[in-house]
Amino acid sequence: MEISTETDGGTVVATPTGRLDGSNAREFQDALDAVVQDTERALILDFEQVSYISSAGLRVLLVTAKALQGNGAELALCSLDDPIREVFGISGFDSIIPIHASRADALASVKG
Amino acid sequence: MPATMSLTVRTARDELERINAAVDRLAEQDDWPPDLVFRVRLVLEEWNLNVMDHGHDDDTHEIDIAMSCDDDAVTIEIIDGGKPFDPLHDTPAPDLTSAVGERRVGGLGVHFMRELMDEVRYKRESGKNHLKLVTRKVR
Repeated sequence: MEISTETDGGTVVATPTGRLDGSNAREFQDALDAVVQDTERALILDFEQVSYISSAGLRVLLVTAKALQGNGAELALCSLDDPIREVFGISGFDSIIPIHASRADALASVKG
Repeated sequence: MPATMSLTVRTARDELERINAAVDRLAEQDDWPPDLVFRVRLVLEEWNLNVMDHGHDDDTHEIDIAMSCDDDAVTIEIIDGGKPFDPLHDTPAPDLTSAVGERRVGGLGVHFMRELMDEVRYKRESGKNHLKLVTRKVR
């Protein structure tokens, strides 16, 4: 799991790469904790390079969503593979984190 | 000749890597589509980490995993000698609807198994948990 970030005004776009599972959830959490600190307005997680997520990865996203909400910032996701999109549906995570088809759509939504 | 795989892992979380490698080998041998690889990985991770974290007091115990494929389906059998845990009766209903501030993640692993597998059977026999999962290859 690696994560790269770009900042555009108050919005941070973070792109994790690889699998988000029980073996690297701690590492993923540490990386996102640092990103949350730098997020003023919104954090977009671009899942283009993510091939897998389990409940351990979802837990990290939930902790991150709670932290951002506490800071008055928002979280959005984009570019999910079909099996990952299905996991978000089954878990009900699609009702707490907005999911967009593309990075451009996600950026437009947080700026709107 | 149906493709099969069997593997014994310790009750240690770092064994997840060996489990995933075994899934990848079987998937390649039996030419699985990506969504099948995804859901087999997912149910194996969820169940085995649950067994490791809650079923046993330390990482020295063993979990036996067997998988077999026929033309239409993949069957997974997992046996461990830890605390009794019936996923069909002993798990809280997952929280799928609370707002972000109140949302909890507990129980999602078993929920995934029930949603993504076509068959989930559990029995406690000879002091061991026996879990059997079946998923059709094409859904």
